[in-house]
Amino acid sequence: MSPSLATTPPAPPAEPVYNPRNYLNAEAGIASWLLTRDHKRIGIMYFVGTTMAFALGGLFAMLIRIELLTPGPTIMSAMSYNRMFTLHGVVMIFIFMIPAIPGIFGNFLLPIMVGARDVAFPKLNLLSFYLWAAGAIIALYGMIHGGADTGWTFYTPYSTTTVTKVVPILLGAFVIGFSSILTGLNFIVTTHTLRAPGISWMKMPLFVWSIYATSVIQILATPVLGITLLLVAFEHAFGWGVFDPALGGDPILFQHMFWFYSHPAVYIMVLPAMAVISEVIQAAARKNIFGYRAVAFSSLGIAFVGFFTWGHHMFTSGQSTLDAGVFGVLSMFVGIFTAIKVFNWTATLYKGAVRFTTPFAYFLGFMFFLVFGGMTGIALATVSLDVHWQDTYFVVAHFHFIMVGGVIMAWLAAIHYWWPKMFGRLYSEGWGLVSAVLIILGFNATFIPQFLLGNSGMPRRYYSYPERFWPLNVASTAGASLLAFGFAIIAIYLAISLKWGKVAGPNPWGSRGYEWGTLSPPPPENFLEQPVFDRPPHDYSEELPGMEVTHAT
Amino acid sequence: MVQSRNSVGEEHAGLARYWIVWVALLVGTVATFLMSRVHLPSPFHLLTALFIACTKSMLVVLFFMHLWDHGGANRLVFVTSLAFVALFIGLIVLDNGTRFELTNPARGATLKQEPPGPDLIMPEGVPVPWQGHGNPLAPDPQEKPAGQAR
Amino acid sequence: MQPEAYVAHHFPNLRQQEHAARLGMWLFLATEILLFSGLFTGYSVYRFLYSEGFEQASRLLNTTLGTVNTLVLITSSLTVAMAHHFSHQGRGKTAAVLLFVTLLFAAAFLVIKGFEWTSDFHEGLLPGRFFTSTEVSATGGPMFFTLYFLMTGLHGIHVIVGMVVLCVLMIQCWIGKYDHGYATPVELGGMYWHLVDLVWIFLYPLLYLI
Repeated sequence: MSPSLATTPPAPPAEPVYNPRNYLNAEAGIASWLLTRDHKRIGIMYFVGTTMAFALGGLFAMLIRIELLTPGPTIMSAMSYNRMFTLHGVVMIFIFMIPAIPGIFGNFLLPIMVGARDVAFPKLNLLSFYLWAAGAIIALYGMIHGGADTGWTFYTPYSTTTVTKVVPILLGAFVIGFSSILTGLNFIVTTHTLRAPGISWMKMPLFVWSIYATSVIQILATPVLGITLLLVAFEHAFGWGVFDPALGGDPILFQHMFWFYSHPAVYIMVLPAMAVISEVIQAAARKNIFGYRAVAFSSLGIAFVGFFTWGHHMFTSGQSTLDAGVFGVLSMFVGIFTAIKVFNWTATLYKGAVRFTTPFAYFLGFMFFLVFGGMTGIALATVSLDVHWQDTYFVVAHFHFIMVGGVIMAWLAAIHYWWPKMFGRLYSEGWGLVSAVLIILGFNATFIPQFLLGNSGMPRRYYSYPERFWPLNVASTAGASLLAFGFAIIAIYLAISLKWGKVAGPNPWGSRGYEWGTLSPPPPENFLEQPVFDRPPHDYSEELPGMEVTHAT
Repeated sequence: MVQSRNSVGEEHAGLARYWIVWVALLVGTVATFLMSRVHLPSPFHLLTALFIACTKSMLVVLFFMHLWDHGGANRLVFVTSLAFVALFIGLIVLDNGTRFELTNPARGATLKQEPPGPDLIMPEGVPVPWQGHGNPLAPDPQEKPAGQAR
Repeated sequence: MQPEAYVAHHFPNLRQQEHAARLGMWLFLATEILLFSGLFTGYSVYRFLYSEGFEQASRLLNTTLGTVNTLVLITSSLTVAMAHHFSHQGRGKTAAVLLFVTLLFAAAFLVIKGFEWTSDFHEGLLPGRFFTSTEVSATGGPMFFTLYFLMTGLHGIHVIVGMVVLCVLMIQCWIGKYDHGYATPVELGGMYWHLVDLVWIFLYPLLYLI
């Protein structure tokens, strides 16, 4: 095992320098941003856009939680409530989470991490961004005109007969699907063809492996979502389709087609989060990952095996018991790969020189919530247990543990870890830790009561509930408020740091990832001189010129 | 890669390959048409048609699309997509094939275009799907307002 | 212009760029295959459930026109493959002529399809709840036609897109843009056209020859 830096103090830092000619100021003017082909600028545009989507989805979430403060009507009607949870799901999943980490950090970092000057198809990359924006605008149009009330899962026959504006939302998601496909395509081709000399497949940063696996899922699964949503839109708009029972159709066919995408979609959301964590853990522990190959191949394992499990969303819907059994067993297998990653990340900490920074705080949150969320997932994959929990708050809590406790924590870890690289400035570490604690506490307060509610029988997507569920719902709403408060604090100190933060220099964390070998913020061509990649990524075995810590934190 | 010497011979050889594949595809089309006229027992006429279609597609993919010459990742991509299509169709048809029969979409005499009439369980008859315009939940002045909680 | 002029700044050489372009196109074709697979899945499920209805309904389609269309598309694949062959050798004008022939075949395909559809409309063989024909007695007839129109419709949209792409390539070949050793766009456009042919190779027996 490579020795860590635990016994070697970092060299005294020279005054950190903010790179004067960087990708942010190399060209000025709005046209240089809107027509850019620089993957870093596209990443920043995704950052701004997806964060706005996150705020919108969070607003819908707060409205839902406020409505659930009392057993009866609180602030809205039942129809509005149906719209709220539908739009919360659509915005958070399609407009925020699926594009976020690949769009922001995949775009910004993947080419740098393979030693390339840009992604394989820069113009296609810009098109991906505009497709995302177009899809979001189309969906927004639908939202403004009342939105859909079908749930983000658009189950037929309700979605084909509802009077609400479901077609713009479907079309918006369809267009965003193309954005997702093109991003995945770009990343796969970049990884295959633009790796610099010295970066073989087994020397790539683990971030690249997981983003690659995500891209494979995006290519294979998203078109199926496209055709499924198109079929629903056709049936809704024109009345001819394949899901209407009165015309001989099978509504369960919709569910099969929808979940064939949407289950791998959750891995599209989680694999980039795991990509981030693999990077953050090595920098925080200042030690190379334990079991590189296992972590790399488990990403591919999740990507492939994740396709075999979609029927576990349909245990109580009416599919055959044989299929239910098959999907139940296969769903257990996919947990193995996540377990491999969790063991390896934990083993990386052993004898590491851990510094408790904000990204590390989010890492801890990620680990605990992923493990608990994942275990409840395995429990839900047991058909006999799912009969009790299906469509209750137990399921809601399970996926929020992974989506918020896992993916959002990793998103926040990524933002804090790469903030100095992207913007050349450090945020206030004190406020970072405070808000991390608030987020983790708020998260627990929001979603642990929901496990209890679901197990006691409170159904999901219900506007009202019996009085005995009242206290837990109030607790959950209180937690959500704390979460919102935490996010607001993060937004504030990050914004402040852009202008008044301390200059970070190339490598404030002392990380050995390839991206820390270039200036902060990076120059437009990523590296000033073509770097030589003759060591594996995250090699902490000896001092490396050009990778010194530039700011002791 | 502009060809300079001895190009005529190579070029005709390259073209010959396309003509041969084209003839094979025509033969395949005629074959599948003729086989459909022969009444094979139930799974075999579908299997024959699919087999011929797969052979024709392989010819197009390998020779017109040059997968025979350029290998590696391209082949992996193509084969993987086919594998997942097979998985997709396979598990779904398995579902319909192994369900309790009455839960499958109605076949034969049980499918009626009209909704069934009133019976013991539903004396008012089965509700008809909404076919009008506007908002069915909007309060109608003549009726009591629709319930809010479900 | 020398081939090197076509190399983008982030690629080390032309060969790498061409390899990347081909891989990118194969990935895109994989997504198209998965897109059509949704409709093939619906077809598989409903053919399994309504085998007799599908058989009866399929007989109402014009098999002769379907066979002619198959031969038309196969030949168009041949001409587009030949077009790339000549473009690759720097003979842009020959390539452009071959692409023009391909476009003629594509147009013929659409015209024949148009005839089929209009005659179906006249007979009341329409998708979904618009189906008014009484020719099919077994259940599943309307579902067959819903799937028929959806699948051939989606295929037709891809034919139209392919025609636009080939038209642009034809003009560029004619003016000599690809005569200098860089013919990858012609190859990529041809690959898209071959996919259109591939889908039809499966649609033909599944729709017309049940």
